[in-house]
Amino acid sequence: MGFWSFFFIIVFLGLTTQWYGTNKALKLNSNIKEGPKLPSLPSYYGANAFLWLVISVLLFLIVWVFSKPHILDYILIQNIPKALIDEFGGTPNMLIDIIKATDISNIFPGTNPIIIENALYYNKIDKLSDSIAYSIILFVGLTVSIFSINRISFLFKARQAVEKTNINLLILCSTIAIIATIGIILSLIFEALRFFEKVNFFDFLFGFNWSPQTAIREGQVASDGAFGAIPIFSGTLLITFVAMFVAIPIGLFSAIYLAEYAKPSVRSTFKPILEILAGVPTVVYGFFAAITVGPFLKNFVGEFGFTIASESAIAAGGVMGIMIIPFISSLSDDVIRAVPQNLRDGSYAMGATKSETVKKIILPAALPGIMGAVLLAISRAIGETMIVVMAAGIAANLTLNPFESVTTVTVQIVTLLVGDQEFDSAKTLAAFALGITLFFATLFLNIIALRIVQKYREKYD
Amino acid sequence: MTNNLDRVELSLVGRKRSERLFKFYGFLGILIAFLFLITILYSVISQGQKAFFTTFIKVNIFFDSEIIDPQNQRNDEDIRYANFNKIITESLKKKFPENLNKNDSKELSSFISSSEADYLSEFVVKNKDYIGKYKNMWLLASSNIDVIVKNPEMEDLDEEDRLISDKQLGWLNQIRLNKELKKELNKNFFTKADSTEPEQAGIWGSLVGSFLTLLITLILSFPVAVAAGVFLEELAPKNKFTEFLEVNINNLAAVPSIIFGLLGLAIFLNIMHLPRSAPIVGGMVLALMTLPTIIIATRSSLKSVPPSIREAAIGLGATRFQSVVDHVLPLAIPGIMTGTIIGMSRALGESAPLLMIGMVAFIVDVPTTFLDSSTALPVQIYLWKSTAARGFVELTAAGVIVLLVFLILMNGLAVFIRQKFEKKW
Amino acid sequence: MAEKIKISTKKVNVFYGDKKALENINLEIPEKKVTSLIGPSGCGKSTFIRCLNRMNDTIDICRIEGKIIIDNEDIYSKEIDPVLLRAKVGMVFQKPNPFPKSIFENVAYGPRIHGLAKSDDELDELVTQSLVKAGLFQEIKDRIHEPGTSLSGGQQQRLCIARTIAISPQIILMDEPCSALDPIATAVIEELIDELAKNFTIVIVTHSMQQAARVSQQTAFFHMGNLIEVGRTDQIFSTPSQKKTQDYITGKIG
Repeated sequence: MGFWSFFFIIVFLGLTTQWYGTNKALKLNSNIKEGPKLPSLPSYYGANAFLWLVISVLLFLIVWVFSKPHILDYILIQNIPKALIDEFGGTPNMLIDIIKATDISNIFPGTNPIIIENALYYNKIDKLSDSIAYSIILFVGLTVSIFSINRISFLFKARQAVEKTNINLLILCSTIAIIATIGIILSLIFEALRFFEKVNFFDFLFGFNWSPQTAIREGQVASDGAFGAIPIFSGTLLITFVAMFVAIPIGLFSAIYLAEYAKPSVRSTFKPILEILAGVPTVVYGFFAAITVGPFLKNFVGEFGFTIASESAIAAGGVMGIMIIPFISSLSDDVIRAVPQNLRDGSYAMGATKSETVKKIILPAALPGIMGAVLLAISRAIGETMIVVMAAGIAANLTLNPFESVTTVTVQIVTLLVGDQEFDSAKTLAAFALGITLFFATLFLNIIALRIVQKYREKYD
Repeated sequence: MTNNLDRVELSLVGRKRSERLFKFYGFLGILIAFLFLITILYSVISQGQKAFFTTFIKVNIFFDSEIIDPQNQRNDEDIRYANFNKIITESLKKKFPENLNKNDSKELSSFISSSEADYLSEFVVKNKDYIGKYKNMWLLASSNIDVIVKNPEMEDLDEEDRLISDKQLGWLNQIRLNKELKKELNKNFFTKADSTEPEQAGIWGSLVGSFLTLLITLILSFPVAVAAGVFLEELAPKNKFTEFLEVNINNLAAVPSIIFGLLGLAIFLNIMHLPRSAPIVGGMVLALMTLPTIIIATRSSLKSVPPSIREAAIGLGATRFQSVVDHVLPLAIPGIMTGTIIGMSRALGESAPLLMIGMVAFIVDVPTTFLDSSTALPVQIYLWKSTAARGFVELTAAGVIVLLVFLILMNGLAVFIRQKFEKKW
Repeated sequence: MAEKIKISTKKVNVFYGDKKALENINLEIPEKKVTSLIGPSGCGKSTFIRCLNRMNDTIDICRIEGKIIIDNEDIYSKEIDPVLLRAKVGMVFQKPNPFPKSIFENVAYGPRIHGLAKSDDELDELVTQSLVKAGLFQEIKDRIHEPGTSLSGGQQQRLCIARTIAISPQIILMDEPCSALDPIATAVIEELIDELAKNFTIVIVTHSMQQAARVSQQTAFFHMGNLIEVGRTDQIFSTPSQKKTQDYITGKIG
């Protein structure tokens, strides 16, 4: 049984159940000439049966989808000769991947015949297991719908049951946010702990030497790389600093101009432009930084007789700053406009000019909100990936000079995890240690920033 | 008293100046942001538009039966394995009557894309009559030639910086003089997947990959997010649990995208053993990212439905759930759609988490199912950018243009829906 | 009346967008007297008072026709700088709006931006004097560096008055200065207005006829954007010449 035939049978079964349940309830009602009828409308009885069918089928289907790879891998390993596994370095995982990737309809000449044989076998058990699973699920679905149709009686309040199920489903959907957060934290912590079994926690956090690109081959046990993350943190901070150096003045002045100076018509022209800047994907900024800004800076600085790395912190950070501008300007714009008008009036009535009012009254009053916006922007900047992956360096370089090349946390995560990876090496696990550092750093910044902004809002409500 | 006003008047000169300066700074901020946008668009479009066209060279091909079918058996298999590169090189040589040595013919053969030999072999298999005859054909130029044709300023570079040798440049100019050069729409770009040769690489594969990925994202995130939004906005009791939920959703919205990639790698790939590089995994990761956006959009558009509608429904004896599903939710749908499209357009531009789950491979086939190895549009841009060959620079920019066009279309649709259907209460 | 005229308006019309808010206002305001503007809400009295120091400039859709002459100068002519004008014509608002700064900084704000004090000592002296004149100094002299927002409503309003007189304006406009205050605080402010009238020309908008009667020497009655009647306060309240004024005073409209 293929997936689609299964799917249509289930749809058919569902519709039949719904129709049959509704009809049964209608019939029960029509038998009553006088006195109380069923406690709910007949359609609710059909809906209830339908709901139970769908939920049980979906539940089993999800269980199957997630357990199938494990079951099949297990069966496959039993079938593979031990000799072949040894040939592939003793770990069956890569071999399994190769077998699965073998396209049996178009076999590459010279493929190991045992692999072809296993690929055919895999294909067979893949189809067979699906058929078995679908049959079981169908049987379960059928049982559930018969059971729920049998439940239709004068004692059963179908509407309440349906609504209760629906609300429980809604709650379940809402908790996915929590499940995702827990998933993030657990997966990061779990892998990071494995990393810290191999590398001392304090060596990681306070070490000055980062060179993980060692021990790529199996058996090179002795030469574990160095995992001191200070140069990475400093690089991240340097690029973030450059970004803020660009984004804060431009963003803030744009916000001031839009909120205090611009006529409504000017405002409605320029605000969308900033929004477009915010909608440009980061990969486009990365392209711009690498292809346009990098070479331009190199030539420009070269004119003055200086040298600049082609993947300099200033190019990556500067373009990241452009990306952050709309973020700062729109948040600051909100904050500035939230400053009550009567403070402005008070200042103007004293004979203050507009700029004096902005500098001496509005900005001090809006400062907490602007601080919050800047913190959120910083958290954005340190978590930003594509710009730095495309335009910043890979080598960990402990420097404060923005003309040199530095690397960042996100660049390292990408470099460590893209490409061939063996999941037991400190090198790959280090990415998760960096990941959890990044997660908690941004979480911390976000919580503080949101607190500040919220306090600020309450103050002027 | 007047003394005071005189002092104020005195101070005014400096104050007026700083006022003007301050206003100018504000305007400058806007102006710089605007100029950045223009610069980005200009640099992308000026380079990218070149990739939409590609160079063809007219060659009078001699289908030499000695090379194609020495035994004269007209067997398809034999024809397919014949050395068509040699046919192209020999035919090219005829353009230049001067004696060419072996090294020269190698340089000459690199004028034509490597894909054209296959094209010719298929052509001959279908048209066996041409064996032993001549035919004028437009063949796809190789990327190096294409780059020089599109960027004439590169001809002035030193030989080693120029991609082609002085001799090749001479031949190229001769071909140009003979009007045997033309530019045509780059069909490969719109129909093929990735390739090692820039002139054969296309965006279509990654476009399909993005489509499959976003389809999964939409299927997973839309119902869940709407359900969560409805629950939190309309039905949830105010207690510690819902408060915790809201904090969680807000935080999830601010988690860096790459962290979602790590989650996908650790859970979907390593624990659940789902296939690497597959749109289904990419879609699941992006769905988690998009969830908060749609939840927030759902909530704000539910919030904008006036309470009188709920009260009217409840007053007629509907339960709270019925009033929401039957009356409030339908009114909120345009807002939810707008939010969903915006969330989808963000997911379309997102690449960092896809790098983590291996959608960053070199994939030459257009994916057809959710389980096939695939890339996505922004990842393809990143991949091309990381490739050294000069011909990929324009291709990358062209990829960016395609991505931006899709984003503009999606956002335009969102704005359209908002303006057309959203009610102002 | 033998008093000198400080402000006079000629054929003033004010529009908000297409809507006419004031029509043909001709009013003369005597120097160093208190003039009160009364009328039902929405009658344009607040709009009028905001024209006198061009506060309406900050509202984009507001447009003004006619002449407003202060000391023989049309304040809406191109040569007049609104900043200079506002240094001369101070304003106190309906809701006390101390800046989110210390009491001292609130009062020092005007002198600082206008460069009125040459030294720190001079500034200290100026601030103290202004607080004394506003009758606030005794109450707050120990907490002069605490935030202005920590004061009570009435104190905040007196702080705003102190802030205004710190730059020694010639005219003080008050837009319902007591409407947010309790009766005791109101009484204090009214006393203060009496005191200030010795040195300043005061224009006060009020919704309370009793207050107008208590503090002002001249009263103008506005209705639906028109100036209905203006005259000596005692005369307006005892023998109004217009029927509408009579109706308002006796509570038939308003």
